[in-house]
Amino acid sequence: MAYVRLPSSPSITVSASAGIGLRPQHYGDVLITRPKVGWFEVHSENYFGKGGAPFYYLEKIREDYPVSLHGVGMSLGSVDALDVQHLAELKGLIERIRPGLVSEHLSWCSFGGDYLNDLVPLPYTDEALVHLIGRLSQAQDTLGRQILVENPSSYLEYDYSTYREYEFLNELSRRTGCGILLDVNNVYVSCRNHGWDALEYLQGIAADRVGEIHLAGHTVNRVSGQDILIDTHNRPVCAEVWALYQTALQLMGAKPSLIEWDTDVPALSILVDEAKQAASYLGAGYEHAA
Amino acid sequence: MNTLHETQRRFTNYALRNLGQALATEGIKGNGLDVAQRLAIYRNNTQLGLTEALRDGYPVVNKLVGTEFFNHLALSFIRHYPPKAGCLLSFGGQFADFIADFQPAEGLPYLPDTARLEWFWHEAFHEADVIALDITRLAKVDPNCYGNLGFTLHPSARLLASDYPVLRIWQANQEGFEGEGRINFDEGGCQLLIYRPVLEVEIIPLSKAEHLFLTLLDMELTVTQAVGQAITIDSTFEVLPVLQHWIANGLLTDFYIKN
Repeated sequence: MAYVRLPSSPSITVSASAGIGLRPQHYGDVLITRPKVGWFEVHSENYFGKGGAPFYYLEKIREDYPVSLHGVGMSLGSVDALDVQHLAELKGLIERIRPGLVSEHLSWCSFGGDYLNDLVPLPYTDEALVHLIGRLSQAQDTLGRQILVENPSSYLEYDYSTYREYEFLNELSRRTGCGILLDVNNVYVSCRNHGWDALEYLQGIAADRVGEIHLAGHTVNRVSGQDILIDTHNRPVCAEVWALYQTALQLMGAKPSLIEWDTDVPALSILVDEAKQAASYLGAGYEHAA
Repeated sequence: MNTLHETQRRFTNYALRNLGQALATEGIKGNGLDVAQRLAIYRNNTQLGLTEALRDGYPVVNKLVGTEFFNHLALSFIRHYPPKAGCLLSFGGQFADFIADFQPAEGLPYLPDTARLEWFWHEAFHEADVIALDITRLAKVDPNCYGNLGFTLHPSARLLASDYPVLRIWQANQEGFEGEGRINFDEGGCQLLIYRPVLEVEIIPLSKAEHLFLTLLDMELTVTQAVGQAITIDSTFEVLPVLQHWIANGLLTDFYIKN
């Protein structure tokens, strides 16, 4: 496959260091303070415009930091035809930004051409697996690169699922060559919501397929006397998720790790502090990367 | 067990339009809760998420009608015009027309044009970057061709004419505004240019003649043709300073000679 090769800048690869999600509120602060974080991640769709301030700042920041593109709108699991326009725009963005990592979600968000702007879980069945293998292969072929697929946080599961979520993700990775983006907060949220075993999940996931880890805060809602955890990305990472993160690092070694905080966004320094905490757990892997 | 197709069809109908709740619950584990409660989490995420996306794009409309009315308006809009792409940049483009036909907003005739202004601002913000016109290129044009000269506007340029003072409405509802907040909606309309010369979107009031002139240039009429119409509105309309000003300010970014 022929795709445009652009002159490479010194730091394309996202190393096994701690990064933070880049939000427009922080563009100026990042350029002025040059925080000591390993890399930045953006939501790909926020840069599907043609120009202006979003690109001005992202390209400036990209000069000094590796960048990861994280998609929320490809709707990989949808039964609709894959949106070729979306893929074309993502491909153009990849050529322009030259990201170290490109990721999407194990979920669907559209039907009949209508989009929900939400990440909805799939039933984990052979039908869904075969469907996803086809879609993901098409996406990776079009983009000419590997995609990391993230485990979703979920608030429901289907009674006819025949795979555990981590088994489904492992199988998808084995059969398409995709990587896995392990969101440790999502593991915690889904396990609490469905009564799954988080340790079993982490031990079950194919460690060598994991290319990135996400960390975020969630909200605990009380519904009919039962806790439901919602993946709100609006607060610090909780102690239980930090503990799971340390377990994940022991099981799979140091991986690029991201602090996601995109609702009620705090000052940049708070995100940088969260990243420092992740970096401290990355330990040897982090020093090696630096 | 439902097929993936049927599962997604039912789920979408419920999450976007509150339709077929009983069907949508099939195959979902209760696991200590009513399945309907689990589905409601997704329905709320979808509808509130899209409402907030609209509010982000239309902050002035939101301020003018208040949060509660805006929520009602947004939910009704979302049912008719859900996003058609995974990227939300194009979501909400029909909002102004929808408001114009939305009966509960009938008493606010200035609202559709206010929404139009906000949408043009949003479009201009994300449009392509263009390098300003190098004026020395223009100096090389053969004077015999002046009659067929046309100009290209910056891709972010949007022209809006309203019967209402929507610029004053927009300004009075910006954060930190300290001027006269009371606006008489019958005080007369305005003609506006919305464009983004570099990084910041600008909203500039124009005379009727200048607004018509730029609109015609944008429709690929020549300068001569556009001036001919502009002077029917204002016989004192002078084209040269207008061209100089808009070249210098990055609105006219290229030119061509029409055959």
